[in-house]
Amino acid sequence: MTIITILGFLLVIIGLWGMLTRKNLIRMILGFSIMDTGIHLIIVSLGYIKGRTAPIFNSELSVAGAADKIVDPIPSALVLTAIVIGLAVTALMLVYAVQMHRQKGSLEISDYEELKW
Amino acid sequence: MVNPIYILVIALFTAFLLPVFDKMGRKYSLGLFFISLAAIFDITLQLAWQSYNGVLKANIFTAGSIPPFSINLRIGGIETFLITTINFGALLAAIYLIPKFNEQKVYAMMLFLTLIAGVNGLILTRDIFNVFVWLEITSISLYALIGIRQNHKSLEAGFKYIIASGLASAFLLLGIIFVYRLTGNLNIDMIAASNTLLVTKGGLTALFLIVIAFLIELKPFPANGWALDVYQAAEPGVSAMVASIVAAGFLYVFYKLIPLLPIYWFDILILMGMLTFVFSNITALKQKNAQRLLGYSSIAQMGLLVAVLLIIKRFPLHNDLPYNLIYIAGALFLNHFLAKAGLFWLAGIIKKDKISDWSLKGNPTLVIIFAFFVFALVGLPPFPGFWAKWVLINRLAQYNLIGWIIPIVIGSLLEATYLLRWFGSAVKQEAAEPVKLPLHKIIPASIAALALIMIYPAFANSLVNTRIIFQIPLLALAMMAILNFLPFRLQGILMIAALTFFGWYIFPLAEGIVKIFEFIFIGGGIVISIVSLNTNIKRQGYYEFLLMLILSLAFIPLAKTTLEFFLVWEYMTISSWLLVLRGKNGEKPALIYILFSLAAALMILTGFALSFAETGSTSLQYLRFLRHYALPVYILLAAGFLVKAAAVGLHIWLPGAYAEAEDEISPVFSGMMSKIALWGFIMLMGIMGTRALGIFEISNLLGWIGVITAFAGALMAVFQEDIKYLLAYSSMSQLGYMILSVAMLSHLGWTTALYMSVTHLFFKGMLFIAVAGLVSRVGTTKMYEMGGLIKKMPVTFISVLIAIIAVSGVPPLSGFGGKWLLYTALLEKGWFLQAGLSFFAGAIAFLYLFRLIHTIFLGQLKAKYREVKEASLWYLIPQVIFIGAIMAVSTFPNLILKPIMAAVDTQFTSSINWEGYKVITTLGYWNGNAVMIITMGVFMVPLIWLLSRVRMVQKVEQFNIVYAAERPERPETTHFAYNFFSHYQKAMGFLVNGQVSNFWNSVSEWFHSISSMVRHIYTGNSQTYALHIIIYIVIVYTLLGVN
Repeated sequence: MTIITILGFLLVIIGLWGMLTRKNLIRMILGFSIMDTGIHLIIVSLGYIKGRTAPIFNSELSVAGAADKIVDPIPSALVLTAIVIGLAVTALMLVYAVQMHRQKGSLEISDYEELKW
Repeated sequence: MVNPIYILVIALFTAFLLPVFDKMGRKYSLGLFFISLAAIFDITLQLAWQSYNGVLKANIFTAGSIPPFSINLRIGGIETFLITTINFGALLAAIYLIPKFNEQKVYAMMLFLTLIAGVNGLILTRDIFNVFVWLEITSISLYALIGIRQNHKSLEAGFKYIIASGLASAFLLLGIIFVYRLTGNLNIDMIAASNTLLVTKGGLTALFLIVIAFLIELKPFPANGWALDVYQAAEPGVSAMVASIVAAGFLYVFYKLIPLLPIYWFDILILMGMLTFVFSNITALKQKNAQRLLGYSSIAQMGLLVAVLLIIKRFPLHNDLPYNLIYIAGALFLNHFLAKAGLFWLAGIIKKDKISDWSLKGNPTLVIIFAFFVFALVGLPPFPGFWAKWVLINRLAQYNLIGWIIPIVIGSLLEATYLLRWFGSAVKQEAAEPVKLPLHKIIPASIAALALIMIYPAFANSLVNTRIIFQIPLLALAMMAILNFLPFRLQGILMIAALTFFGWYIFPLAEGIVKIFEFIFIGGGIVISIVSLNTNIKRQGYYEFLLMLILSLAFIPLAKTTLEFFLVWEYMTISSWLLVLRGKNGEKPALIYILFSLAAALMILTGFALSFAETGSTSLQYLRFLRHYALPVYILLAAGFLVKAAAVGLHIWLPGAYAEAEDEISPVFSGMMSKIALWGFIMLMGIMGTRALGIFEISNLLGWIGVITAFAGALMAVFQEDIKYLLAYSSMSQLGYMILSVAMLSHLGWTTALYMSVTHLFFKGMLFIAVAGLVSRVGTTKMYEMGGLIKKMPVTFISVLIAIIAVSGVPPLSGFGGKWLLYTALLEKGWFLQAGLSFFAGAIAFLYLFRLIHTIFLGQLKAKYREVKEASLWYLIPQVIFIGAIMAVSTFPNLILKPIMAAVDTQFTSSINWEGYKVITTLGYWNGNAVMIITMGVFMVPLIWLLSRVRMVQKVEQFNIVYAAERPERPETTHFAYNFFSHYQKAMGFLVNGQVSNFWNSVSEWFHSISSMVRHIYTGNSQTYALHIIIYIVIVYTLLGVN
């Protein structure tokens, strides 16, 4: 558990808090985004090995013997995918918020409780 | 072989190619879209073919290396089955959505394809992170597809969905990364093999996060408010996909995760599934919105499937028979998949939000499709759900998981309640405006319905052993439906011919007591069906259901195994229910009838399952070897039969069902169908004898129930104003005597029961037919509206007269023999109190029987009936046949007593002797022949005397009377026949003041109150729903005991 991991969890909790308590759609979306970022941080931090370099082959890092010099490349690969997906979801949420505002002229989540029971 | 990866490639590649083609015109992009879907389905079919031939390669590697260094796909039998199903469903869903694709931008098609790619990917991949990616591809496409219907409701629902699903994916991602951290692996199979996860708390927590994320995606109760909103607000075509295709993907991922789970989690997770099944169904009871109702039902089915998947994996169900797993889960899944998608499509065709606005009357195509879907979901035969439930419950009993049977039974019954209520109201309601049937919508719905019926033999044959002839009732239904184009009367003649042929074929094969019942069902069926020939105006479904009912009845006694028995029992239930529903005011009675019948059926099913659990055999004869479960099995079966017999307390379905069925059908119910309960008891007691319940013998108890039913039925019949209700209660009473007789478990008792059941067919069939003829002329069933019809309808009068003499048990007619046998048997057995009570009940019967003659045929003729004529010949022929039968058996009781006694001889040693026409018991003798001659002599003497004085009679015309110039507010109350027995009502009416209906009403009220209480947790607030999810996760985490 590095400080980054803990920071990541902190962000997740802050984001969750935002999603659950903020009444404004945009703020809820921000909450989601913060939570997502927190998770990304956690992923990256778990793959990090102290004193090693990024898993990118270039003039500094040759393929031979790279395994001892780089951090775990899998989490880095995973986090890229997760970031892209997170971006897509956030964008879609914002589109929703815009459309909802167009339909009802409100961004308050409590104005969207028509469907129930 | 084809590489399944091409499915994903084609879907994704085409999706991004579509905008290019769209530039050329929508025709081209739509064409390409369908070509790609067809190509995907073609690949799936090839895979299925390879799988069928056993040449399928299971693992597909990617990126030129093997796991864990690359992602691999797996395509085994289950995967093939699933992708075949979903890609078939996708094709149908796409056809349904064609107009939407045309009016929307090209994105709709792109999203559809990415969604399909996502679900296929979810099913194929074995890499846990890849699962996350496909999940997100599916979800994002779905969010956007929901939003495509740009109204505020679907936007609201879509937003809630994103929040909920976003939370779930966040937990999933966390779980995945920690699993990777702890195992260094992302391949599901390798993680499962290494088992390193289960040893640490962190590993378990990571695993929990993954599992709970998919559980949330499967919409567990109560953390599922967002899903309900989606089902309700999305375009029906999209909701259909959520309920079928997408659910399939999520469910299969959950299944893939099961091998990772520690054993001690299973029970809690099964419980979560079962809770979802029961509570979603309870909550649905109060639902008025069609799509939301379907949403509740979908969620419930998913809950059941989750539980079943876990049960299958937890217990050795999948070991002993390899196809068991695919059998139960696959059948339940396919059943749900086709029926639920179809129902959503149907909702899109009807376009009515409120279920009470659904009106399908006069639209047979829609009614049939609707019926297929609803029946499949309720688990009625022959649909796959029926076989799945049968095997599931049998297996649960076998593996000593009886506790899980209870939620399944309760949930199924609740689901049946709202679905069949909906069906009943929809088919009874006349459409205000004709429903449009656009081809693109009706084609997928019909194909789904057809598929449901076409696949059933695959499930019916793969595990269970039923003789093929037990499908004859269903085939008969299909045959009659095909012949529907013929003139109605010709259909009737063909039906009677078919019955006659069937009887000629089956009768020689039947033996002993079975033969008696075949005589009642087939003989009675032929005679009573003649009545139906009175009209040539088409009635949809009439002969179909009637023939199915009669044949089902005929097959029940022939059943050798529990499944055969249960299968035709259910066929009987369905066909008779639909016949009640056909009645003019049949909606409510039909619902009550089907619910009681289904409850009875489920009790019988559970009883059979317990028997299977102990003896390991489905043979009915094996019931006799029961030790451990003997008592519960006996009680369950007896309770089921008591419901069917409408024993007191369980009788409230009977009056409505008998009386509100069409007039031509009531004699079938009363004369024939009621006897099936008797057969049930004869079978049960013939095999199992009696059992002791504490200090009581159950047969004693049944005897008391029988006699009290006889008494209560008679008393209630006395206070009826409606002639059909009167006869219905009278049937209940007569059945009571028969149960009493069977319960004696003696030669004389059984002889009595069988004798009564044959003669009851004669006189009650006759009475109901007479009433049908009567009603066809006077147009009312209220007795006080009749009167003085003796001269208008003399033949009907005579048959009613003969019937009531026969019912009441006075000499010389057959009823006397029945009563004589009954009292003799009771005294021989030493049941004196029962004898007293049945004697009292018999006396009460005189009251209502007298009323039939007095109120209908005697007294003043109403002015409006001056022109009434005798009922048509079609009513009179069967009556005359029955009169002949009654006369014959009254004069020569040997005609039926001899075969009955011969049949009973196989069960008990006889205490009866014969001396010519004399039946001799230890208590006395009865000579039917002599009784007839003497009574006739006694009758003839005054008759001749009266005839000789006929000229001295002065006729009093109707208006030869003084009126007191008053005009009452409710004229019928002044009729002498109204409230005829009010004085008796004062004395004994409190006994039958509706306590029982009040009880059942409050049962229904309770369930509806719970429903309305529970559904208030769905507040509609997105954040509340998110909170539900968080709390749910915490609770499940605690229950699983991870810490």
